[in-house]
Amino acid sequence: MTKQEDARRFKLGKLVLWVVLIFVAVIQLFPLIWLFNFSLVSSTEMFTSGILVIPEEIKWSNYSTAFEHGHVLRYLFNSVLINSLAVISVVLISIVSAFAIRRMRWKLSGLVKTLLLLGMMIPIHATLLPNYMIYSQLHIKDTIWALLIPYVAFSLPQGLFLMIGFLESVPKEMEEAAVMDGCGIYRVIFLIVTPMLKPSIATVSIMTFLNNWNEFMMARTYLSTPTWKTLPFSLLDFTGQYRSNYAIQFAVMALTAAPALLVYVILNKHITKGVAMGAVKG
Amino acid sequence: MDKLYRNKLVISTLILPGLLLFLFAILGPIILSVFYGFTDYSGMGSYNMIGFENFLNLLKDDKFGLALRNSLLLALGFLLIQHPIAIIVAVVLDKLRGRAEGIFRCIYFIPNVISVAVIAFLWKSVYNPDFGFLNKVLAFLGFSGQINWLSQENAIWSVLVVLIWHGFGWGMLIYYTGIKNIDPVLYEAASIDGADQKNTFLRITLPLMKPVIQVNVTMAIISALKQMETVYLLTGGGPGDSTQFTANYLYQQAFESFRYGYGNAIGVVFIVICLGVTVFLNKVFEERQEQ
Amino acid sequence: MKSITKTKIKTKSKMIALLLTAAMAFALLAGCGATETTTTTSDTPVSEPTEPDVQPEPAEADEPVAEDSGAEPVTLRLFTNLPDRQNGQGLIEQMIVDEYMAENPHVTIAVEALDDESYKTKFKAYAMDGMPDVVNIWGQPSFLDEVLDAGVLAELNEADYESYGFIPGSMEGFKKDGKLYGLPRNTDIMAFYYNEKMFIDNGWTVPATYAELLELAGTIHDAGFVPVAMDGGEGWPMAIYLTDLLLKLNGDVANISKEAINNADFSNPVFAEAVQLLIDADNAGLFQTGYDSQDYGTAMSLFTNGQAAMFYMGSWEASMALNQDIPEEIRTNIRAFFMPVVEGGQGLATDIAAWNGGGYGVSASSEVKEEAIKFLNYMYLPEKLSKYGWENGVGMSAQDQSEFMTGEETELQKIFINIINQATNTSGTPINDNGSSLLKTTIESNIQSVSNGSMTIEDFLATLVEACAP
Repeated sequence: MTKQEDARRFKLGKLVLWVVLIFVAVIQLFPLIWLFNFSLVSSTEMFTSGILVIPEEIKWSNYSTAFEHGHVLRYLFNSVLINSLAVISVVLISIVSAFAIRRMRWKLSGLVKTLLLLGMMIPIHATLLPNYMIYSQLHIKDTIWALLIPYVAFSLPQGLFLMIGFLESVPKEMEEAAVMDGCGIYRVIFLIVTPMLKPSIATVSIMTFLNNWNEFMMARTYLSTPTWKTLPFSLLDFTGQYRSNYAIQFAVMALTAAPALLVYVILNKHITKGVAMGAVKG
Repeated sequence: MDKLYRNKLVISTLILPGLLLFLFAILGPIILSVFYGFTDYSGMGSYNMIGFENFLNLLKDDKFGLALRNSLLLALGFLLIQHPIAIIVAVVLDKLRGRAEGIFRCIYFIPNVISVAVIAFLWKSVYNPDFGFLNKVLAFLGFSGQINWLSQENAIWSVLVVLIWHGFGWGMLIYYTGIKNIDPVLYEAASIDGADQKNTFLRITLPLMKPVIQVNVTMAIISALKQMETVYLLTGGGPGDSTQFTANYLYQQAFESFRYGYGNAIGVVFIVICLGVTVFLNKVFEERQEQ
Repeated sequence: MKSITKTKIKTKSKMIALLLTAAMAFALLAGCGATETTTTTSDTPVSEPTEPDVQPEPAEADEPVAEDSGAEPVTLRLFTNLPDRQNGQGLIEQMIVDEYMAENPHVTIAVEALDDESYKTKFKAYAMDGMPDVVNIWGQPSFLDEVLDAGVLAELNEADYESYGFIPGSMEGFKKDGKLYGLPRNTDIMAFYYNEKMFIDNGWTVPATYAELLELAGTIHDAGFVPVAMDGGEGWPMAIYLTDLLLKLNGDVANISKEAINNADFSNPVFAEAVQLLIDADNAGLFQTGYDSQDYGTAMSLFTNGQAAMFYMGSWEASMALNQDIPEEIRTNIRAFFMPVVEGGQGLATDIAAWNGGGYGVSASSEVKEEAIKFLNYMYLPEKLSKYGWENGVGMSAQDQSEFMTGEETELQKIFINIINQATNTSGTPINDNGSSLLKTTIESNIQSVSNGSMTIEDFLATLVEACAP
């Protein structure tokens, strides 16, 4: 094998590599480009031939209608609020539970750990029917609790699992020294252990956020008035309206997708790192 | 110090928030579900205890069988189509250095951050025979005639494509991380031994990724079982019941056919299946690791 | 105005349900158009509210409609299946809600609107604990039987509505054991909407027989259009199509379908024949590709954007003629015809698929039941739902609308008035809604399979038998 041949082979290999990567990227992205394209045309133009449509007049008005009638701002606010609260709760509860299970000494810790982790295997949808009944009886249906409770409960097992794993790699010496100095357990947890868990907190937060941000089945079942509806409802509630002006639906889809997409593009390094860390450990 | 770590009161305050939440939001509902599974409750008014009737009916219910078969099909689709591609792309991506690597990784993950609701409606339009993207591409390529992507025969495959597309970035990212974690010294050693790329992949990359592959396979099978949101919005389980999935079916039974009791019976069996499959997969992988 | 209404009521009671109003409506349409000057058909969907100083005359004197100011603030929850608040029926409902709140400052009405399918799911979910105060209901066994058994709807006093001009018989679906639990909102007629300009331009004619319809499908298809846009992703439009065919085959559908459902016996050959005609339509390419997976909006947009020549849907979509979102050259050319006769069938061209379906009821568990009923009665004042509906071209209410004729009705409205005037028989509740909710879900999911050829007729009918068996 001559050096030249080798170089040519290398180049060819590189080319194939690029083609594969770009091809997959196009497949992953094109539906979204098409979505954006359709959000700017009129309903009649949707039917013209050609893969993409060049609108006679760019219909930005689709977006203003979508924004207004889709209640995008309000639902976005609800989504951010509910998800932030869920993330904070999951992080806090998973830290203290992980500490109790890994560090504290009690007989039932193994059993409780297994029980809590069992939650990872339970299909969320199987609890839709009974939870609906329970929340009705307690009159917390259509309140923020009807979303917050199941969101936290179903993200907790995974968060706990990750926290236990991370906690194992945190050295005990520091906290033991603190305890010697007369520090209570709570202060040990929040002042000494928590700061050392920073990277894992980020991972748990990202996983929890991704799990719950797009959830709509529970929201659809437990909520009725717009008070606490989350972002996916901008789209879900919209589809019955504007039946005859279909293109606006594409604008609503784009608006519903935009916030998460934007945050992702800005923070993509941290997010992918967090997911990778969580998923490989989990 | 030991006393401090054995303080019952402190332990309770630490573990109770999580435990109570679990009991209230997960275990309690399951117990309630078991109870209603033994009733003929329609969802309103009064009800009777009917013993195992719901569960016996479930055994005879073709649609439930169809839902399980669809889950199996989906799991196979993930394992035979999505994952091989994801592994290959992850390996290729790993070879690429610099900015491009980051950009591609970013792009591949994008569908994952988009709401399932948007994904379902978007693909419903992509599949539309009259203005949909796919038929337009075909027309552009000179193919005349309309393909009905969501017909009774095609729908399950079309659903599969959406789910593979949507979950691709996630699977790829995990494989990618797995590859990144492989000690580069091993590759150097292999290249000194004169191993070509194919051999390096088969002898080093793949075996070392075993734990990652196991995690991914387990997740793929479980998510195939749990599938609901996408079909709920994309096809509603139709046409006919060709894209029926367990979760969608229990929802329909309880809230559309007035069979809340039966829906709960499905839910209970559903949970048992999910637990069983997870335990089974763990056992299988554990044994293989011991060998 | 009031006296006119009263005299009408007397004459009316003798005649058959749907047919009568129409007869009068027709007479008035022909004759009285010019005399009515106070109301005009508004071209824009946002029509002006009627003058607030014209206080609606209460039906019975004992229940004043408007409360004195200073009353306790009340919030009424209205749960409705009309998510589009800018057009059609949803607009009418919203107009009345706004007017009521303006006239009764102490009342706030919170509206929750979902499309049909989600509405029904949520309704059943609500039935477990507490209903919103005023709810949309359907006066059909598949929906109402279980709801009434569970006792979630409040009883209404039928005598209160004597002066409301309800079409005789239209309340029947909302009754149980002689007690009234809801009021009908619409008289629904199923039709083929078609684009007249497209028909004329291409030299197509409205088919007189079913065979001609299927033949026309081929012609339209060859011209590059979709013959009929069908909302087949949801099962009910096709189930109504089947009901329509049963009527054309048998000349009666109410009795045979009720009998078949009660006895769990669909062996009457007319059922298989009707299903076969539906399959023939699929084979002839009458519907768009992928009709069995497309939703309402997708099917409708095919028609309203000029891709489809026809659209099979109910009279509630007659407001398309006034919908500004639809291009003008299309909306002004929308006409309608009805299921053509089948050769050898007993049904006449004037036997139509029509029924009184949608309506409103009040929750039995409502904490503000009195206020809720007051609002309900307000909506049904003839000059509210009926009049606004008529002016906005929404279709027909279940009340006497003849006095609201202006002579400026849209062509579509005239077509519907005509057919109801000439109707020789009506289908009553469509077959899917005439039994249990299990029968409904069974028909609606399996009718897709049978029409696209994935299921045999025998198997289809067998699943219906199974769903009806006790």
